[in-house]
Amino acid sequence: MTVEGRNYGLPDPRLEKARHVKYWTRCIKTFLPHQYTGNDSNRMYLAFLMVSALDLLDALYTACSEDERRGFIDWIYHCQHPDGGFRMWPGTDFGERADASNAKWDPANVPATYFALSSLLILGDDFKRVRRKQTFQWLRRVQRPDGSFGEILMDGRVEGGRDPRAGYCAAGVRYILHGAKKHAPEMGDGNEDINVDDLVRCIRICQMFDGGIADEPFHEPHAGYTFCSLGCLSLMDRLNTGKYPSTDERYGPSDVQEVIRWLVHRQTNILDPGGALDSEFLGTKTAKLDPLEVDKLLTQTSDAQAVPEPSSSSAFAINTECAGMNGRTNKVADTCYAWWSGASLHMLGQPNLYDQTAVRKYLLEKTQHPVLGGFGKFPGDLPDLYHSYLGLAALSLAGSDEVKEVDASMCVSKDVRARLSGLWEAWDVENLADDAST
Amino acid sequence: MGKYSDDPAWADVTPLPTDEGGPNPLAAIAYSEEYEETMSYLRAAMAANEFSPRVLDLTEDLIDMNPAHYTVWLYRAHCLFAINSDLKEELDWLNETALQHQKNYQIWHHRMLILDKLDSCEGEGEFVERMFEKDAKNYHVWSYRQWLVKRFALWENGELEFTEKLIEKDVRNNSAWNHRWYVINGREGEGVRGITDPRIREREVDFAEVAVAKAPQNQSPWSYLRGIARKGGMPLSSLKDFVSQYASLEQPDEVRSSHALDMMAEILAEEDNGKQQAGAALDMLAQKYDPIRKNYWEYRKGMLGLPSAAA
Ligand SMILES: [Zn+2]
Repeated sequence: MTVEGRNYGLPDPRLEKARHVKYWTRCIKTFLPHQYTGNDSNRMYLAFLMVSALDLLDALYTACSEDERRGFIDWIYHCQHPDGGFRMWPGTDFGERADASNAKWDPANVPATYFALSSLLILGDDFKRVRRKQTFQWLRRVQRPDGSFGEILMDGRVEGGRDPRAGYCAAGVRYILHGAKKHAPEMGDGNEDINVDDLVRCIRICQMFDGGIADEPFHEPHAGYTFCSLGCLSLMDRLNTGKYPSTDERYGPSDVQEVIRWLVHRQTNILDPGGALDSEFLGTKTAKLDPLEVDKLLTQTSDAQAVPEPSSSSAFAINTECAGMNGRTNKVADTCYAWWSGASLHMLGQPNLYDQTAVRKYLLEKTQHPVLGGFGKFPGDLPDLYHSYLGLAALSLAGSDEVKEVDASMCVSKDVRARLSGLWEAWDVENLADDAST
Repeated sequence: MGKYSDDPAWADVTPLPTDEGGPNPLAAIAYSEEYEETMSYLRAAMAANEFSPRVLDLTEDLIDMNPAHYTVWLYRAHCLFAINSDLKEELDWLNETALQHQKNYQIWHHRMLILDKLDSCEGEGEFVERMFEKDAKNYHVWSYRQWLVKRFALWENGELEFTEKLIEKDVRNNSAWNHRWYVINGREGEGVRGITDPRIREREVDFAEVAVAKAPQNQSPWSYLRGIARKGGMPLSSLKDFVSQYASLEQPDEVRSSHALDMMAEILAEEDNGKQQAGAALDMLAQKYDPIRKNYWEYRKGMLGLPSAAA
């Protein structure tokens, strides 16, 4: 990928690759510190971040032995729900005490299912143990009459927010299990698919007056929800990148040029949070590292945690050498939005409309942790799993050749996505065999 | 040796520890003993479908350590309704919990459930304001505020004045601008006209123009004006005189807002023979006033059929 750079002649800052590999190896091989307890119910998602980060660093097979990788796969299957879909973690499975009366407290979860299937794909699993048909049948039932997806089913009722995170994950599950339609498992009930048109409509009505996309109509546009909305459309082959008139309701978003305008304005050289509170996407708490590591860090020279220079006081963003992305209008840059906003532009086929050189510089010089590896949320912050993963993925999109090429809609390496065609072909053969035997 | 195992009130319950299923679990966490114990009692209680006052205490403990647990909230709500617990007390507890776990989705969903059952939003205004004192851009709180307005029909109960107050406090608070849009336009589906009503449109244009004067490089009021033009059926050209106070091609060194220059480019592009001038405005953005988005401004020139300067 060629990227236009203004400061040619100067060497690009480097990814401290060995430190990142070390950071992720430690995360995957040892217990996460107890500060992650608030993320106990997001473990499948954390698992995905770990295996996918090591894959992006091309270190999954060197960092983990075959036994370990097989063990990870077994754990993911351990979280599979008997009626299809996956749990976020084994914590809701009642084991021997499970029965019909308490089944409702142990539901499969839509995002968990996407992260589980993606992780299996990254780990090179053959998907033989995936309950494809049940998962697909369950998935349809987690869609509401208005087209939106929830996260779980409880007593037949769809629970969880109405936002496009679940819609994105549902589209991802459908894409992995369905591929092109002919690979779909045979349901035999004449009602094979989720309602794609209604899901598209849900997304179309969430584009706001300023061009960005929100989780619900009239909510404030947000880069995370914009990514999920565009990713959902892309995985269903319903993303309008400008090919169709905006009135064509089979496609979304409803106004492509306005969403592009909104997305390019996410780039900012205001990097200093100045004590401002900021929200995280995907509902995770930013858990810090264990005290031991913090301790180790404090014994390093103080410039390891250098506070960034205050950003330019000019009203205009004149100093453009180093600029990250924010998630909403008038907020400061944050590592993760370099992914959410950047990937959105990539999906829309406009990867050069943001300054990739400036983003690389921001990530590598400001939020990459020079000692521990990983990325923090803001300059000088300690790394956490969420920002460390999205920092790597964003760096790949911004043209770094030190990370594997990442797929903007699936958020896994292009290598991993390419494996799907092999699985789909195998399923076609199975379907044919099934047809022949009936 | 633990809060529950030592408590005679829980002696009838056999805890149910979590089975990790093998030697290589992913994302395993070094839980505290307290968390492990609380989880195993919670699991036992849920497995037995117990709904009792002690279950409320148990879920409270667990939520305090892991508020993202997606079934414990539903279990708690079920329990509250099953034993006819005092929902006002529940709100008091939620007030404290919300302040500790501000970014948690489940808390807000739970609150909506309780409020819906109570069928009253008494005291909620104050609570929301306290939350905004901590973070005036908290996404969950704004979403909740929108829900309150709709559920309890508060559209004309000082809501517009509320946005005015917050914008007065911080003219760059985009969440407050967005909420203002909602208050004005959120009932169009029910036939209550918003910015399509000429009187309202005029009032809102004035409001945004005053805000621009305070901080010309603040994008929020510019987006608001653009939204009024697009959704309210007002030609952007009607803003030309106003925009030229902040960005004029005649005074290329005195541009006070890149957003004004962007809007000027759009106005000029719509005029007869205005494309070259629009291109000049876009060049000024690319080269001087907004070089971060240089490639975008070039792209916009391309959309007008103009050649790229960087070629
Ligand atoms: Zn972030």
